Amino acid sequence: MSLKKNDEMDHNAWLKRQDLTAIETAFLTTLIWVDKRLRIVDYLELLETMYYRANLQMPKSHTEQYDLDNKFWYWYPLYSLGSLSIIAYLVAAVSGAMLGFYYSPSTAGAAAQGDPTAAYDSVVLILQDVQFGFMLRSIHSWAAQFMVAAVFLHMLRVYFTGAYKEPREVNWILGVVLIGLTLFFGFSGYVLPWKQLSFWAAQIGVEMALATPIVGEWAAQLLFGGFTLGQATLVRMYILHVFVLPFVVTSLIALHVGIVWVQGIAEPH
Amino acid sequence: MTEDNEPMTDGGTDEDARTDGGPPATVPPDDETPTWSERKERSQGLAQLTYQYFERSRREDEDLRAESTYVERDVLGFPAWPHETIRNLAITSFFIGMLIFIAALMPPHFGHPANPGSTPAIILPDWYLYWSFGLLKLNPLNPQLAVLDGNILLGNEFLGIIAHGIVFGAIGLVPFLNKGSARRPVEEPFWAAVGVTGVVLSLTLAALAIQNFFPFELDLLVTLTFLLPVLCGIITYAVLKTMREGYMYDLNRRYYMLRPPK
Repeated sequence: MSLKKNDEMDHNAWLKRQDLTAIETAFLTTLIWVDKRLRIVDYLELLETMYYRANLQMPKSHTEQYDLDNKFWYWYPLYSLGSLSIIAYLVAAVSGAMLGFYYSPSTAGAAAQGDPTAAYDSVVLILQDVQFGFMLRSIHSWAAQFMVAAVFLHMLRVYFTGAYKEPREVNWILGVVLIGLTLFFGFSGYVLPWKQLSFWAAQIGVEMALATPIVGEWAAQLLFGGFTLGQATLVRMYILHVFVLPFVVTSLIALHVGIVWVQGIAEPH
Repeated sequence: MTEDNEPMTDGGTDEDARTDGGPPATVPPDDETPTWSERKERSQGLAQLTYQYFERSRREDEDLRAESTYVERDVLGFPAWPHETIRNLAITSFFIGMLIFIAALMPPHFGHPANPGSTPAIILPDWYLYWSFGLLKLNPLNPQLAVLDGNILLGNEFLGIIAHGIVFGAIGLVPFLNKGSARRPVEEPFWAAVGVTGVVLSLTLAALAIQNFFPFELDLLVTLTFLLPVLCGIITYAVLKTMREGYMYDLNRRYYMLRPPK
């Protein structure tokens, strides 16, 4: 076993044998010098991959193959519903964060049944005293409505153009989960002002949970903080609405879009 | 060095390669030094299997591409800049603009503070939960599901929760039931009809949720809730089935032009 230098790896001798121009020699010398220190060979493959990605050879798309280019534009809004729901989600997130500066999730302050609570008063404060607050709440509410509408229509578009089919089952199911979470997002937000309809919508929620055998009582305690509505309910709905759901929904949306990215858009019909 | 040629830890018996047990020194490159592509080939365990599988799938991909009749193109669709970007910016601005416009025009109503002591006459969630609320009002159906004389099997509310499970489960099952490459509703009238049935059912369930607003009897409303969707589904099926004739004719026009029917 010898440790002597192997001639095969003598790059300088190889360089001399090549009979190169001055520019080529300079380039190769620099390359070898850098490569001996930084091992760029290892990164060459990455560069190669990037090169082929950038000059991607793709099959002709369905739209091109059937010459749908001139008829496709009026379907386009239906194909942008997914991104529209994300935009609405972002608008709701920004306006919601600003509403959160003024909102307080508390049922304190009601002297008698039916008196305004601290939560209700803080929304009144937003509506009446906060600069631009009335508009902010309106935008937040409408962004939620737009998001739910866009999500429903998005599902219909995916269904009626068969975009959920074979390689995309997982993303369809993920979408169904996201719709459920979006609806729960809306529900938990609806409860927060602690107005009459919020209270009774939450009451129906508790009754639904309690009607479920085995897991029902556990679910009622987890989501509503007990079997009757009160401070615990409001705080739980608040934390779900501003902390848990944003994290979960945002990461699921990222996964949803990531899978679309990896699998490619299902071609227009 | 022992004379009995005891194999080394790697099973070799080459005396030249025998070391005194320390970690191997830098191995100089020789004929057996792997090339860079060989170096990437994992030689054992799961890594090897993964590598082999990737190789196979890549080869499969290449074969499929070679067999494909698709025309190879340099560019797919519109360029990201400026076409896609400007279109998406336009759509986004228009969408947010409409959102703010409607928010300014129709601010949401703000009701009275919560009062556990007085139940309002009409309890309704936001519009997008009407269908769900409608599923909770299926109690007129419950006695018909009873097997034992007069005793209902499920509580009315639990029936509603089961209905939710059925709805979500059915939607989740769709891609496992409907496979194949058909994309347009005309190509699959049945599944389009199922979709229309579902959409109309969600609307009629919403109508069931706000039943107080309908002047006719509850029994009729419950019947309509389930009858209307099926009717709409049948109509969709018939219409698409009819359309398909024309659609197939369109697809086959070239064939007919070459060989006109006698």
